[in-house]
Amino acid sequence: MTPLLAFGRFEIGRLLRSWKFLAITVGFPVVFYMLFLGDHRSGEIVDGTVPWRVYLMVAMCTFGSLVAGLTAGGGRLSAERLAGWSRQLRVTPLPSWSYVAVKVTATMLVVLPVLVLVEVVGASFGGVREPAGTWVALTLLMWLVALPSALVGVLIGLIVHPETAFPVVTGLMFLIGYFGGLFGPVDRMPHGLQVVARVLPSYHQASLGQSLLDGRGFRAGSWLVVAGYAVGLALAVLVVHRIDERKGLA
Amino acid sequence: MRARAVSAGAEPPGRPGTTAWRDGAAFSFEEVRHRYGAHLAIDGLCLSVSQGEMVALLGPNGAGKSTAMSVLLGLARPQEGTVTVLGTSPRRAVADGRVGAMLQTGTGTGLPSGVRVEAALRLVGRLYRSPAPFEATVARAGIEGLLGRWTHQLSGGQAQRVRFALAIAGDPELVLLDEPTAAMDVQSRRAFWTMIRQFGTEGRTVVFATHHLQEADQIASRVVVVNHGRVVADGAGASLKAAVASRRVHFTCPVPDQARLDALEGVTDVTVAGTSVVLRSMDADATIAALVRGKVAFRHLEVGSGGLEEAFVRLTEPAPGTEADA
Repeated sequence: MTPLLAFGRFEIGRLLRSWKFLAITVGFPVVFYMLFLGDHRSGEIVDGTVPWRVYLMVAMCTFGSLVAGLTAGGGRLSAERLAGWSRQLRVTPLPSWSYVAVKVTATMLVVLPVLVLVEVVGASFGGVREPAGTWVALTLLMWLVALPSALVGVLIGLIVHPETAFPVVTGLMFLIGYFGGLFGPVDRMPHGLQVVARVLPSYHQASLGQSLLDGRGFRAGSWLVVAGYAVGLALAVLVVHRIDERKGLA
Repeated sequence: MRARAVSAGAEPPGRPGTTAWRDGAAFSFEEVRHRYGAHLAIDGLCLSVSQGEMVALLGPNGAGKSTAMSVLLGLARPQEGTVTVLGTSPRRAVADGRVGAMLQTGTGTGLPSGVRVEAALRLVGRLYRSPAPFEATVARAGIEGLLGRWTHQLSGGQAQRVRFALAIAGDPELVLLDEPTAAMDVQSRRAFWTMIRQFGTEGRTVVFATHHLQEADQIASRVVVVNHGRVVADGAGASLKAAVASRRVHFTCPVPDQARLDALEGVTDVTVAGTSVVLRSMDADATIAALVRGKVAFRHLEVGSGGLEEAFVRLTEPAPGTEADA
């Protein structure tokens, strides 16, 4: 077994065993979604083409990926760096990039059950009716475009001190959620905020999910933005990790 | 003036290659400088350690011991100088699994949360191409009773033993321990060093950083004193005690007579600079009595321990014509 696989298996096993952490991380966006469900606007057409109930479910999938990314990637990683475990790994033959690669992969694995649960709630209480194939496609699509969320989480985990991790993580979660148009339709926002929303990846992640359900089809612009964020954030993660390594034990 | 700082750090620059890696060297620093911002953590460090040595890096906090270890592990890349580890670069040596380390962890345990000790140790073993057998590592670190524990259930001393096991899991040729007994009580300290000594007899090179003189003296076969980022002294542990036990006798004298001062009871070394005289004495009381008896016209008499650093400079004075670094 290669070092990368051994470390990957170890990390994912460790994550799966911390079920309290997982229950909160996965449960939070689902509960949050349910708080929105009583909304009278459910049938209203928003942001051009989709009913609010569909918009909301996809937005909550995106919000869920952000929650999972920031808590599983961010909070845990930050604590681990302080404990000195990541530094211990740095003096083993494990290649430096595989540490962050495994962290991003493990974070992505936490995103998946969040998406599935939000969709289950959407189908059972949220009034979203779709054929089975569309559900599968939507899940895979939302999972793929969740990559920037996982990367943001890992990046934050590499930068912030555990003491400040909690406010930073929750702050970012709600700021990105709000300004990214995940808590309300973007077209109802003031014009200035609509511009902000379109700059954030979360708006485009949600937008790609909606495009699958409203038949508007391929949105090249959104794909480009999401891919751009993924590449940019991945580079940032690698650079920050390298700097962190160099700092050593000053 | 007979006293000379001897350390390799005092070697004139511009002699590259004199301490170059040769067969049997575990690592070498040549004129290495490393700064963190404005702070010069390592300042012209020259040091060469042979394979199989048990070396203590002794020095106060901030002396540059941890930085030297970071450099050896490739965690910090020095701005100047050459570092060779096991005949190659630090990064290569670590990537090849030939170096193991126990670093300072501050307030943390240095261990992953949410796993048992056994899982963490097995993982670290798998990161190496040719690790030591799991049972051998467990026995060497004496952690048979801890394998089933969760990492957060360990006491400070137990966590250190587990971290030592992680450091040696890859069967490294060179092991670096940065203040390994920091969180331990007296008993676990003793047990820990017994284990390290045993480990060192197996032909591996062990280097540990400490600011405890006793630890350095009792465990290491060679003590390298580091301060202000350079080697200030380098010698065998056994002669350390004698050097530290000696006293520094300082006074002024209008016309010092070096030969006469040399002959005084207890005196092991004389340094004369103008009217200022510094004697090093194994028995300060007897030396001062002899000064009075011999009617030496001394004034401003001071007796002090001289400090470890100075003791070491004396200790490691080379015989004429020998290389400074062993």
